[in-house]
Amino acid sequence: MSSSPSALLSVTYVEPGYRHVVELVHQRDPDARRRLRSLDLAVYEPEGKLLAEVSIDPAEETLDLAAVTAGPAAGRPRVMAVFDARYDERIFPYRPHHYGFLHREGSSSAPLYYAVGAVLGGVPQRVDNSRINNFETYVFAGGPFAERHAVLLGNLARFAPALAQVFAYYGPERVVRDVSLPPKAHTEVTLEPEHGGRRLERVEIKSLFRMATYVTGRRATSGDLVLFDHLFTFFK
Amino acid sequence: MATEGGGEVSDGLLLCYCTMLTVGDLRSACRDGRWPLPDKEPTGKLCTGCLGDLLYLLRAFEREAPA
Repeated sequence: MSSSPSALLSVTYVEPGYRHVVELVHQRDPDARRRLRSLDLAVYEPEGKLLAEVSIDPAEETLDLAAVTAGPAAGRPRVMAVFDARYDERIFPYRPHHYGFLHREGSSSAPLYYAVGAVLGGVPQRVDNSRINNFETYVFAGGPFAERHAVLLGNLARFAPALAQVFAYYGPERVVRDVSLPPKAHTEVTLEPEHGGRRLERVEIKSLFRMATYVTGRRATSGDLVLFDHLFTFFK
Repeated sequence: MATEGGGEVSDGLLLCYCTMLTVGDLRSACRDGRWPLPDKEPTGKLCTGCLGDLLYLLRAFEREAPA
């Protein structure tokens, strides 16, 4: 084990009206509570403009993300929240993740638990997870269960624009969308629920480098999120 | 060197979160003709998240490097 800190850059998206809490370190040993060494949070609008930077107390186990981002997120449909963590590698015995809890206030929809997308770092070579991860996919097993689906794409680069392709599969047919994002920008790409009489079955994202990607599902009537999950790498 | 947004590129910025390569490490290695550094060869190849910035900065620093 190294005494030098490891680094992890993780991303999620915040929409107003949701209770959104992030567990910074998933504790596994009640007798040895683990803490990050440091954590900085940055908030970006869709065009990539920095809205806020906050230094988070690493002694905290959970972060009320909705409260911290309430100011910069106000009046915007969505903001991108970037977690920049330094940590001792012993606190994450596998590929490190923060974990999120998401529930629309006053909604009868079930709350969502998800792994916050780890985009940069996480020492993939140490945990033998060094397969190509800039090609990602999501399979809607048994068919989509929400009425409206989309993918969220964010470019975490500081300098480089990102070009990505989003492929939605409907049986043998596929629909391709090209996406271009400046540094720190993000966007939502809507996926049509049907094409050529076939339902949406799978989505893929391909890019030169790893992006901050999630697949979402919403109720048509209320817009409540009923699916919020990161995609999976092609190669297992 | 300035970014596209007009800000200066800080040497202290962490570029690769897997190998812990900073912008300053890359700048000095390019200036001295030492890139890739022996212990930083996997930069851009592991999580791939920094690959776009790595290529961007390599082009910029190569332009700055003495002939």
